[in-house]
Amino acid sequence: MLLRLRDISRFYDHRPVFKNVSLDLRRGRVTLLCGPNGAGKSTLLKILAGLIKPSEGEVIFPAGEAPNVGYLDHRTFIYPTLSALDNLRFWADLRGAPSADEDLFPVLERMDLSDFAGEPAGLFSRGMAQRLNLARVFMQRPDLMLLDEPSNGLDQASLALLRAEIKKAGEDGTCIVWITHSPDQDKGRADEIALLDKGALRVYPAVP
Amino acid sequence: MIRPALIIARKDLRLIAGCRGGLLQALLLGLLLIFMFSLSLAPGQVMSPQGAATVFWMSSAFCQVLVFNTLHSHEEENGQMLGLLLSPIPPQSIWLGKALAGACLLFLAQLVFLPAVFVFLRQEAGALWPVGLASIIVSDVGIAALGALLGSLARGQSAREALFSVIIFPLLTPLLLGGIRIGTAVLSPGADGDYANWLGISLAFDAIFTAAAMVLFPLVYNVDD
Repeated sequence: MLLRLRDISRFYDHRPVFKNVSLDLRRGRVTLLCGPNGAGKSTLLKILAGLIKPSEGEVIFPAGEAPNVGYLDHRTFIYPTLSALDNLRFWADLRGAPSADEDLFPVLERMDLSDFAGEPAGLFSRGMAQRLNLARVFMQRPDLMLLDEPSNGLDQASLALLRAEIKKAGEDGTCIVWITHSPDQDKGRADEIALLDKGALRVYPAVP
Repeated sequence: MIRPALIIARKDLRLIAGCRGGLLQALLLGLLLIFMFSLSLAPGQVMSPQGAATVFWMSSAFCQVLVFNTLHSHEEENGQMLGLLLSPIPPQSIWLGKALAGACLLFLAQLVFLPAVFVFLRQEAGALWPVGLASIIVSDVGIAALGALLGSLARGQSAREALFSVIIFPLLTPLLLGGIRIGTAVLSPGADGDYANWLGISLAFDAIFTAAAMVLFPLVYNVDD
C-alpha cells in the first residue's frame, strides 16, 4: 500500500466539494479518476500530491513517508527560453539527481526529443513540450504518478507515446491516478475506475 | 536550503539574461525617473544631495517592483510553481533563490543608476562613498527579502504591479529612509552625519524582513484549489 485516503472532505466557503472520500492506492495499479466538471477531481489529485490539505479526514502513508510524486497536467512546466536539456537539468538538480548530459540524453531519447536537446523549449509544439514534461516526470522515477488530463491538445503521435509510457510506468510498479474525460478510451489501460460525482467517490474494477 | 536556492537563483538569472525584457524595462524606468528629475533643474543648477539620494532610491524601488514581478511571473507561465512545490526542497529555498536573484539584478541596475545620478543630477561623491556602498548593499538585502515574499503574494493578479507596489512601498519606508539619509551624507562634501544609526536601523529591518519571510513564505506560496 502506497497511500490511503480516509474519510477525506474538502469545503469551499463551508460548501462541500466532496465528503467522506476514501481511496487506497497500491503500487503498480492504474486508477482512472472520472466525473463531471466541478466534481473536485483536480482538488482530490492535489490532496494526493500533498499540495493542499483536506478540510477533514486523513492522508495515511503506510510506508511511513510520503511517496515521490510525479505530477503531470495540461501545463508543461517548461521554461521557454531554456533549452530542453537545461530544463531537465534544472529539475534534476533540484532533486539532487544526476544531471550530466549522459544522464539526461537517454531520457530525451526515450521521448523522441534528443535531436532537439539544445533547442529553446519555447519553440516546441504542444506535443513536444508535453513530452519534455513527461521526461521530467520519468526522470524522477516517481512512486506515485498523478495525471490531470495531460493529453489535452496533444497530436495523435504524442498521445500514443504518452499512453505507451504511462502503461510502461504502471507495469514497472508506479502507482498511477489519471484524470480523464474519455474513460471509454482509457479504461483498457486501467485496473480500476474511481467516479467522483455529487460529492461521493465510487470505485469499481475497470472492465475493458 | 542553500543549494536549491542557488540552483533557482542561477536559473532565474539565466532566464532574465535570455529574455532581457524584465531587467531592461526596470533599467529604463529607473533611468527615465532620474532623467525626468534632471529636467526640473535650471541650467547650471545642482540638485541638493538629499534630492539626488531620494531620486536614486525611488528609481531603485520602482526597479525592484518590476524585477520581482518578472521573477515570480517566470513560475506562472507554464505552471512551473507546481513543479517547485512538488520538489523535495524547503519552500524557503524558493524564497531565498528569488531573493538572491532579485538582489543581484537590483544591484546591477543600481550600478547603472549611480553614474546617471552623478551625471544628470550633477552630484559628486564625498569621502564617505564606502559607507554609501555598504548602505546600498544592506538596503538591497532587505528590499530583496521583502520583494521575494510579497511578489509571491501578488502572483496571479491581473493588476499585480499595482498591488505589489501598494503593499511593498509602505513596508520599505524605513529602508528607503535609511538609504536616503546615508546617501545624503555621502553626496554632501565634508559631511560626517549620523549614518551609523541609519545603517543599524537598515540592518535591523533586514533581520525583521528576513525572519518574517522565512516564516510567512510557505504560507503564501501555495496552490489554489
